[in-house]
Amino acid sequence: MSWGVVALVGGVVGLDATSFPQVMISRPLVAGTLTGWILGDPALGAALGAMHEIFSLAVLPVGASRYPEAGTASVAATAALVSSAAAGTWSALLVALVFALLWERVSGASVVLYRRNIERLLLTSDGNPLSSGRLERRHTLTIALDFARAALVTLLGALLGSGLVTWLAPRADLPADLIRSAIAIAAAAVLGGSLRVFGGWAERRRAFVLGAVAGCALLLIQ
Amino acid sequence: MAMLARSFAVQGSFNYRTLIGAGFAFVVLPALRRTFQDRPLELEEAVRRHQEPFNSHPYLVGVAAGAVVRLEQDGAPAPVLERFKSAIRGSLGSIGDALFWAGFRPACVLLALVLVSSGVPFWLAILTFLVLYNTAHVSTRAWGFRLGLQHGASVAASLRVSPLVRAWRASAVTGAFLLGTLSLLVAAGRLTGEPGPLSTLAATIAVGAGIVLGPVIRLPAEIILALLVIAGVVRGVLS
Repeated sequence: MSWGVVALVGGVVGLDATSFPQVMISRPLVAGTLTGWILGDPALGAALGAMHEIFSLAVLPVGASRYPEAGTASVAATAALVSSAAAGTWSALLVALVFALLWERVSGASVVLYRRNIERLLLTSDGNPLSSGRLERRHTLTIALDFARAALVTLLGALLGSGLVTWLAPRADLPADLIRSAIAIAAAAVLGGSLRVFGGWAERRRAFVLGAVAGCALLLIQ
Repeated sequence: MAMLARSFAVQGSFNYRTLIGAGFAFVVLPALRRTFQDRPLELEEAVRRHQEPFNSHPYLVGVAAGAVVRLEQDGAPAPVLERFKSAIRGSLGSIGDALFWAGFRPACVLLALVLVSSGVPFWLAILTFLVLYNTAHVSTRAWGFRLGLQHGASVAASLRVSPLVRAWRASAVTGAFLLGTLSLLVAAGRLTGEPGPLSTLAATIAVGAGIVLGPVIRLPAEIILALLVIAGVVRGVLS
């Protein structure tokens, strides 16, 4: 396991979330798969990423709101999962998913801290706006600092997560069927809750029900 | 082109005091340098005034940037520029947030998840998502700059009749459709493997509970998963 590579991926993913270029490699589905691919198990990364993605659907980064940072957490959790000896088990997947959902709040808090602390970089020492040259340099510096923040929070998460998955997964005496059901039920609940993003039941019930019918058709075809 | 390229980093210095103020000045700087090329003092004055607090959806910042550049080229006084930016920021934020964060992005992600749950190779599903999403993303950025440069101060009127509102509605309907499809596939165990009938029933009820309660159901769902881990560890330790 190359923790340096994990930190690098986390830095890039963290940047993409807000600073540059927002092409959505920071989505858990993409970030998890990418991390899994780099570390040698893309399918596992995709599985964890897909589950994490469902929980992230209704998180909207609007205005100056504070929100969890799912991308870096997804990288950290995938690295933790892939590095664990229990990697192929449902217990490990469950622990990694729970860790991802917890760590994204830590990542989100690091974003708040970072944003508060860069304010003074964007002013002169006497509190005035910057000149053109200094603005360009400082703006680039803040992007570099965001990369460093994201890399650090990913690395810390991956190391902590790896310890948790390695220690907890073998000790979590749970039938695989129970874990699968619990994740499916939790994911289903969150999916239902995400309908509000598109306008809620009152406005979108017809489209939702038609979609469910299409889902039935898919199940019958396959 | 330089402004378009820089717009991808407009939120690079996002902070709670000026929001994307500094980033906005960073984006329009190449055009300001051309406009004030023999007037360095006026250039620096323009750069300073554009660092004032400002916000916009990042993909629509080009609308404001293009319009501001046009106004600066036309010699608009500072109070006019300030009033324009104050007036436009709300629309650019709300339209962009509704269209992309609450419409197109989740719809594209849902498409990828439906493809994965339907057995399509995950790499193909992800590629589909990235290509589809970013085609619209980059096109919108470029379109925004063109609109702003063309219309200047009257860009707000053009924004109201633009296809963005229709695009939001189409994204929301498509997203709700795909959400219905994915909900059924997840309840049927396509994400986690074949469930028993009891599990499918419970998942279907959970979808309904989620629809009623909204996004707040996420926290209880996470807590239940965490409690399951704890219960498993306790059981493992005791046995």
